[in-house]
Amino acid sequence: MTVLWIMVVVLVVALLLLAKLLSGVLGAARSITPTVTAIGGVAAAGSKDLDAVIALVTTQNYISQVVAGLANYGGSLDVALPDA
Amino acid sequence: MELPVAIIILLIVLIVLALAVFLLATIAELVKINRGLAAAIPLVGELVSKTAPVNGVLDAINGTLVTGRDLLEGLALKKAGPDGAGLVESCFPGEGAKFLRRVGASGAVLPIGEDYPRGAAILNSLLGGTAPVPAAGSAPAPAPAPAASGASPSEAVPGGGRISLRDTPAPAAQEPAEPGRLSAMGARPWESAPAAEAPAEPGRLTAKGARPWER
Repeated sequence: MTVLWIMVVVLVVALLLLAKLLSGVLGAARSITPTVTAIGGVAAAGSKDLDAVIALVTTQNYISQVVAGLANYGGSLDVALPDA
Repeated sequence: MELPVAIIILLIVLIVLALAVFLLATIAELVKINRGLAAAIPLVGELVSKTAPVNGVLDAINGTLVTGRDLLEGLALKKAGPDGAGLVESCFPGEGAKFLRRVGASGAVLPIGEDYPRGAAILNSLLGGTAPVPAAGSAPAPAPAPAASGASPSEAVPGGGRISLRDTPAPAAQEPAEPGRLSAMGARPWESAPAAEAPAEPGRLTAKGARPWER
């Protein structure tokens, strides 16, 4: 009979411990869900923002033209100004 | 049935129920997480694909800009000679010393245009005009003094090594209309007052003669 009562106590302790541990696992899993949703939202916004990256190609083209203009301007200055 | 046995059976049932409830709830949350990640992963892939060409484009832009910089620095070195670093320093404070390092030269960086709005002294000296009104707070940071020479550039040359046009009083009409705008208006010979000094050699665009060490 004593052994049976000891088993009862052990099972009660095991039940409490199990409930606490599973509650922790569930809480952690529930905390991940909004984070993943937020990551998805941020990635969508970032992807939309990066649509303007294609303009870098235009910028590159403009910069090439500006530097070419600078080269022409520098050539003119080279002719117009005396050397030091 | 004895009481302890009944309690044990009840506790076992409770344990199984707790396991089932919590694990089912956890599984449900994991399914939600899986769906969220499934939605986020393609968006992250878009980020990766959209940013992939940025490095190449920026490298190309930087290469082009470096080419332009080298071109202008070479021109400044050729045309301004020892003033080249000072011109660069005047336009971009702190860059004069780097310019010297890039061109493999050494020596002091003479702070040209120290007392004037950026570029105004350069334009004035090149156009042979008179001095603009000094702008308060627009002075670039002076470059460090050379350690080798022992004497500072200000001591080495009269006038502190600047293109100083202070001896020519600036008429009030030559004050820039818009503060902060780098304007050469009023410094051009055809816009200056009749009393303004004509360039030593009319028609020659040169800063020579305005430099203290060439006087």
